Amino acid sequence: MMRRWLPFVFGAGFLIWVAALVMLAMTAEGPQRFGELYLLILLVNVTGVIALLVLIGGRLADFVRDWRRHVPGSRLRGRTLLMFGGLAIAPLLLVFTFSIMFLTRGIDSWFHAEVRQGLTDALGLSRAALDMRMREYLERTVRIAGRLEGLSQGSLYFALDDELHAAGAEEFVVTSAGGQPIAFSRAGLLHALPAVPPEDLLMQLRRGQPHVSLQPAPGGGYQVRAAATIRAGPGESTRLLVAIYPVPQRLSDLAATVQTAYQQYGQLSYLREPLKATFVLTLSLVLLMALLAAVYGALYFSERLVRPVQDLIAGTRAVAKGDFDTRLLRASHDEIGFLVTSFNDMTKKLARAREETERSRAAVEAERAALAVILARLTSGVISLEPDLRVRVANQAAGSILGADFTGSAGRPLAEIAAGEPILAELHAVMQRHFEAGETEWREQVTLRTDSGRRELVVACTALPGDAGTQGLVLVFDEVTQLLQAQRQAAWGEVARRLAHEIRNPLTPIQLSAERMRRKLMRGLAASEAELLDRSTQTIVQQVEAMKQMVAAFSEYARAPDMHVSEFDLGALVRQVSDLYHAQDSRVAFGLSLDPKAALLEADPGRIRQLLNNLLTNSLEALDGTPNPVIMIETKRVGDLVALTVVDNGPGFQGGLLEQAFDPYVTSKPKGTGLGLAIVRRIVEEHGGQVEVDNAPQGGARVRITLPATAREARRAEARREKA
Amino acid sequence: MRGRRWLLAFAVLVGAAVTLAAPAQNPGRFQVRNAYVELANGAWLLDVSLDLGLADAARRAFEEGVPLVLRLEIEASVDRRLLPAEEVVSLTRDWQVAYDAIADRFVVTDDASGAHVSHATQAEALEALSRISGIVIADTAVLPEGRRFDVRVRATVEVGELPAAVRMLLFWRDWSRSTEWYAWKVRP
Repeated sequence: MMRRWLPFVFGAGFLIWVAALVMLAMTAEGPQRFGELYLLILLVNVTGVIALLVLIGGRLADFVRDWRRHVPGSRLRGRTLLMFGGLAIAPLLLVFTFSIMFLTRGIDSWFHAEVRQGLTDALGLSRAALDMRMREYLERTVRIAGRLEGLSQGSLYFALDDELHAAGAEEFVVTSAGGQPIAFSRAGLLHALPAVPPEDLLMQLRRGQPHVSLQPAPGGGYQVRAAATIRAGPGESTRLLVAIYPVPQRLSDLAATVQTAYQQYGQLSYLREPLKATFVLTLSLVLLMALLAAVYGALYFSERLVRPVQDLIAGTRAVAKGDFDTRLLRASHDEIGFLVTSFNDMTKKLARAREETERSRAAVEAERAALAVILARLTSGVISLEPDLRVRVANQAAGSILGADFTGSAGRPLAEIAAGEPILAELHAVMQRHFEAGETEWREQVTLRTDSGRRELVVACTALPGDAGTQGLVLVFDEVTQLLQAQRQAAWGEVARRLAHEIRNPLTPIQLSAERMRRKLMRGLAASEAELLDRSTQTIVQQVEAMKQMVAAFSEYARAPDMHVSEFDLGALVRQVSDLYHAQDSRVAFGLSLDPKAALLEADPGRIRQLLNNLLTNSLEALDGTPNPVIMIETKRVGDLVALTVVDNGPGFQGGLLEQAFDPYVTSKPKGTGLGLAIVRRIVEEHGGQVEVDNAPQGGARVRITLPATAREARRAEARREKA
Repeated sequence: MRGRRWLLAFAVLVGAAVTLAAPAQNPGRFQVRNAYVELANGAWLLDVSLDLGLADAARRAFEEGVPLVLRLEIEASVDRRLLPAEEVVSLTRDWQVAYDAIADRFVVTDDASGAHVSHATQAEALEALSRISGIVIADTAVLPEGRRFDVRVRATVEVGELPAAVRMLLFWRDWSRSTEWYAWKVRP
């Protein structure tokens, strides 16, 4: 804001300064005016000099501060300042020096000896010319004074008039010895009485010497005053004659001119040294003002010249720091202005490019985030690999499917991560095989054998295309173990339903027919034949009964009755069932570990009872022949889940049985239908739970079941399962 | 002790420098020695006696032919009840004294009347100039007889008739010198 008004302030200051100079010139018109304006003029000038000094000091301080701080452009400004200052100051000093020389010599030339001598000679000549007149007038006056001797008062007037006209004088006055006028005669009007002669005249006459002197005339020019003593007769007092004679006009004018010239020369001579000093001082003052103005101008213009460059430097630095919104003000239409325009265009383009880059980056980030979300939500495992099989990224599902921790795995070789992960190690081996075979696009169902059983993975590998060949691999895999099991269960369910339907119907007629045949034919046959018939029909009936039991079991497996969910005491149910089985086979010891927190369970108590029956039946059958048979049953509350574990100390799952433990018709027992665990699994899944089987570390089979504690949790689990 | 010697030497040097640098000034006494008014023929007449000491610069200028101007400022005021005094007289009279080289005389001119008197010497001229008498300052219409009033006078000597350029360039020089105001009361 201040900078906008600065030119007006300078303009006003300049005008005031000029006004002060004008006033200074005006003071020469009279001392009174000079006295009135002197202080004001002095104040204006001193204020102007102080203002300039303050302004220069401020700008110099700014400049020095910038120089010390290495502000961009300060060096350039310094050089510009030196250049401008030098260009302005050097000619000023040169002009000042020569001006002083010319001035002092010029003033000295006014006072050459020839000039003074000429004036003195002119003065002497004028005096000589006038002296001749004065002597003539003196002699004339002395003669007239002689003629006036002895005249009476009355005749004196007439005599004076006659002598006045005869002598061509302007005035004759006869006075007493003391100078008192007695009589007088004048050529012009008698406008005043004659004045008393001056004392020097009277004293000269008293000494007996006639007096003559040149007097400046009132209207200009000169007149000659001559005086002589009129000797007194006996009895008379001495009288004096004072005469005024005119000087011829021509001579008077010339004398006046000489006098004026002589007087002015005297004044100038008197003022010679002060004049020189004054001129030197005035020139010095002017030089000082000019120097200050030049220095200030140099500061001002160097700043104006350098400012666009400084702005450009600041703008360049801002751009270097990433601020592309910097715009410079174009203050001129020269090359600097063109540079500023180019800079602004450049920053605009850079800003646009950065915006586009930002948009692209944001889009990429959004896509990456979406991809991350998709990857995180994918139930399929995805592992992105570098061409050298270093892990680029792996989603959560990959970790959970493979049982591996991929946290911080980015950049690490897959082989290194697989070192401690057996499932991943198997997958890596499969990959390595394809990799070594040069296959980058392949799909395979991989069977992995783990402690918890056989797991089926469908793995697909795809190469990522890039500008220079393969950019990496993407491994996508799904665990299809449960899917396959579900498919098998569905197939077995259908088989069981058909078997139950197709086989159960003819069994009863077969049994009834066999019994009727035995009843009808028994009486008419011989004993041996009757015995044969009896054995045969008994066999048929027994086998039909066995088939009925098998069909009932299949029917039970296939049917899906409605759930009757209610809250019941799981511990009590476990105790009740275990007591029942303990009563059935007392040699088996039952160990119960029942968590009071897991006492209440919201489920179908009938199905849970069947679940327990199936598990304990399996265990009892497995413990057949095992010394000190023990069955441990444990319930435990884990969050919202209730865990039920049944462990025996039997032979456990043998060989491949563990992998197919839940498949129907998979059994190691000669009389088993192989539907026990299959039904257990179906009941668990109907309740939204999970079941796992393995061999306990100390030996024996171990079945672990987790069930939601409440029906709501069960529904949630079922929904998750269906979603998956 | 050594320090005191240095201090003394420094003081002597400073004193000498100041003495040499200071302009030689012998201004003499310049004051209103005496002044009074008297009533004559219905007019108040002023007589003033001055000690007309000239400053060296003015004296040198005068001797070189530069004229001198003597200015006399006269003011008279009458008292008023409950009001500031009323200034009823304010006038200025100038006399000029110059050296005439042709006539070799010093001429005193009354600027008001144009009358001039020449003197053979500078001293006579200045002596004549220092005794001013019979100046009419007012009549009884302005200053009634019997009324109490205050009169004050001040004299100023200026070096006159200088070229305008010289006066402008040498503005800082003491071309003018004034007395203090000489005031007195006139009682009936």
